[in-house]
Amino acid sequence: MAWLLPATVVIVLWAASVGAAQQPAAGAKPAPAPEYAGSEACQACHEDIYRAFQRNPHQRVETDKRRGWAGRACESCHGPGAKHAESVAAADILHPPKLEPGRADQNCLKCHLREPPLAARIQGGHGRGQVACGNCHSMHKEPERLRPRQPARINQQCAGCHAAEWAQFQRPHRHRLPEGAMSCTDCHNPHGSPPPQFRRVVSANEPGCFRCHGDKRGPFVFEHAPVRLEGCRACHEPHGSANPRLLNRAEVRFQCLECHSNIGAGGALGGIPPGLHDLRSPRFRNCTICHSKIHGSQVDRGLRR
Amino acid sequence: MRRLLPLLFLWPLAAQQPAPVPKPAEAKPAQESPAPAAERWLTGNVDFGYRVVGAVGGDFNTYRSVVNLGEGPKLFGLDASMQDPSRRLFDRLDIRANSWGGDPYNTARLDVRRERAYDFSFDYRNIAHFDFLPSFADPTLQRGVFLNQRSIDTNRRSSDLELNLLPGRRIVPFVAFSRNAGRGRGVTVFGLEGNEYPVPNLFRDHSDDIRGGVRLDFNRFHFTLEQGRVSYHIDQQVYTGPGRNPGNVLTPVFGRNLYLDQGNQSLDVRGDVRFTRAVFAAAPFRWVDVAGQFLFSQPEADSKFSQNNTGNFFDFASRQFYSSQLAALTSQASQPHTSASFSAELRPVRRLRILESWMTDRLHNAGSAFLTDRLLVSGSPLDTRTLASVDRLVLNYNQQELAGLFDINGKATLRFGHRYVWGNASVPAAFVIERLGKESAELRRHVVLAGLSLRLGQRVSVNWDHEASPGDHSYFRTSLHKYQRAKIRARYQVHPSLAVAANFSLLDNENPSPGINYDFLSRQNTLSANWTPGGGKWFSILGEYTRFTLRSELTYLVPNTLDRELSFYREDGHSGTALVDVGLPGKGAVQPKLSFGGSLFASVGSRPARYYQPQARFSLPLSGRAQWYGEWRWYALSQPFYLFEGFRNHQFVIGFRLAL
Repeated sequence: MAWLLPATVVIVLWAASVGAAQQPAAGAKPAPAPEYAGSEACQACHEDIYRAFQRNPHQRVETDKRRGWAGRACESCHGPGAKHAESVAAADILHPPKLEPGRADQNCLKCHLREPPLAARIQGGHGRGQVACGNCHSMHKEPERLRPRQPARINQQCAGCHAAEWAQFQRPHRHRLPEGAMSCTDCHNPHGSPPPQFRRVVSANEPGCFRCHGDKRGPFVFEHAPVRLEGCRACHEPHGSANPRLLNRAEVRFQCLECHSNIGAGGALGGIPPGLHDLRSPRFRNCTICHSKIHGSQVDRGLRR
Repeated sequence: MRRLLPLLFLWPLAAQQPAPVPKPAEAKPAQESPAPAAERWLTGNVDFGYRVVGAVGGDFNTYRSVVNLGEGPKLFGLDASMQDPSRRLFDRLDIRANSWGGDPYNTARLDVRRERAYDFSFDYRNIAHFDFLPSFADPTLQRGVFLNQRSIDTNRRSSDLELNLLPGRRIVPFVAFSRNAGRGRGVTVFGLEGNEYPVPNLFRDHSDDIRGGVRLDFNRFHFTLEQGRVSYHIDQQVYTGPGRNPGNVLTPVFGRNLYLDQGNQSLDVRGDVRFTRAVFAAAPFRWVDVAGQFLFSQPEADSKFSQNNTGNFFDFASRQFYSSQLAALTSQASQPHTSASFSAELRPVRRLRILESWMTDRLHNAGSAFLTDRLLVSGSPLDTRTLASVDRLVLNYNQQELAGLFDINGKATLRFGHRYVWGNASVPAAFVIERLGKESAELRRHVVLAGLSLRLGQRVSVNWDHEASPGDHSYFRTSLHKYQRAKIRARYQVHPSLAVAANFSLLDNENPSPGINYDFLSRQNTLSANWTPGGGKWFSILGEYTRFTLRSELTYLVPNTLDRELSFYREDGHSGTALVDVGLPGKGAVQPKLSFGGSLFASVGSRPARYYQPQARFSLPLSGRAQWYGEWRWYALSQPFYLFEGFRNHQFVIGFRLAL
């Protein structure tokens, strides 16, 4: 693995040097400044969009002198529009939905980079998957379309692309999303987060599941290692399952024995199987009948009380 | 209340009668407002009505565990937005509420904002969670006792408040408070050597999370510093009812039956989490963005446990019977947890983006407990044991990723990259190998990343993501090891009124190590379509169909014989949802609408299940601002496994939707 770090450093330095070379040289003549037409000029042709935009929170750009776009809110995203106003040609104006997602995002990030949810964008945001901001946020319409807050609307929006995930919520045992009691963003941060699959965190870096399942929070004197090492998904399918309690297996014993079945086989954790337990008896088919503190115990290493 | 229902049906019909035409003399000429047509200060809608729940066929406890909707008057939804024309107190206030009136999940939300002054939000949820599924092998079933020994009936309430001051300015202080509380009861097991006794239990917990900090926003730089504290309290009680509890085992031990006459367990946990979060993001040059986070939390918990029980018990260590037991324990646990990440996006040339990210997550849990256990026979001490335990869990996780996105042209973007995940963990050794002290494992995984995005105009888009790892070291037998994961999403806007989308996802994971032989394959194919001819005024259909298969095989050791067996898990099924809207002929704005559809889920395999939720709805506008509707839903679950688990239930709703 000795090559990995140097290779990364070389690539990053190369990118930095090429990028820096693109900066305009000092003393070079600046290009002539493009001309702006002002929002009123846009309104003349795009009346319906202009009217809808009055209800959008972005409208405040129109009056905000500090940001430098007062009277030119449309052009803050669409670029200088004087040429387009004159020619009425689509080619003469910037139309973000037609841009590559990366470039469209840069257009938004001119202002929104400085927002905390976007700090993990590079690490695991939708931007990596080529989903531009505009795919989820409607810039021209009412606030609920810009930033949905109703769980049902959020879920509908996510399901538009993540149909397979939404299909899992049609199973009998599930988190209550179809009922509108929860939304996808309760557990996932669509702008990205360091944990995989955009999972949310609470209390700085604890798994987001503890927000509601506080009794499983710990710390426990006797931890059940998979909870910390692999998270709740080691045993549960959070979107929905045909198995009660969202378990990954139909019978509790298999859920447990699939890990507790070796002595260091393949270097895996999990220990040896519980000796003397006769699985022909229903007493031993549900491991959690006795090992009731399966998420961790303050009392017993065997997680029994 | 049921007697009033016919009136609810008849009232809309009466309301449809043509309104008396005002006499010309009464008609006043419309006066033009001197002010420009201002927006309404209050907008939104309210949706309320009455739900009738038919008799539940099948298992009522399963119905309560899965659906649990109740009968009676309900506020199905309230969505109101208020704008203060003077903008003195607020610019905009939004109130939302859903499912009030005894439903198992009630939600409410308030958002108030005044530009450059404050931004306040309050979110409340009350979720009832009932779980009494006869899905677990019941040791007492042969005696005719249907008792789920792991069941719960709880309510969980959470409230979140957040206040941001001076939003939109350079320095934004913020403070937030969350309270999460749960309480309920259930059935659990009072476990003692040789027998276990199903008993009722009570539990309640709450946590208070207060945090605050400041955000610094500059043109090319953002920094957030947040500090917070969570204090929580968990209280669990296990107790016995009157009478002798024979437990799950009726077979005598050395000629005597084991039983529990009286027993109590009490666990009291007080915990505290202090945490710090620092986040920065910057765009120092046009060609680079950087971001990073530092997160630290230190959860700590102090516990007190006590137990007393009387009856007839057997101590396998000393091979003696005893009649009562007194146990007391105090314990402490601490879990410092540090995470950090750094990422950069470089755009050296116009078509290329290079993404570099690194993260680390380090946690160690240290716990200690001191237990005193006294066994007595008829009040006389038989044995007193003390046990001091210490436990330690260590986790170090690291991830480094380098990826590139190259725009081949305006229509295609190629993704490629490499992720390296490495770490180690040590956990206390399990029972029989306890003397070894600890078990350790390493995590090492190289992952190749690839992907392609195609955008053919704005009508066709295809997104393909693929990652694969040759497998190296993983923590558990079922962890990701030698795997490949692929996702393809395609969308085609056939016509402005017709869009179709197809999704394909695959996860193929295996661990061929001797003694494990894990083989897992999951596939999901989804096809969805949305057709709204003519803007959906007369007809629209939205449908989605998913075909999924899951196969898992893994070798395990049968505990009492140590024979190798294969654990199979299979799922092979279909799920679908559809909703059809049909506009019916009407007069002017009064156009009735019929909607029908629903969802189905059917699978065969390790746990065959069928779950149907068809529905139909008839809505009748009474005016431009009021609508009456009637709705029918059917819930049907069939899942035979240990016992027949299933139910059938019709529900009817009659309601009104009023625009504010």
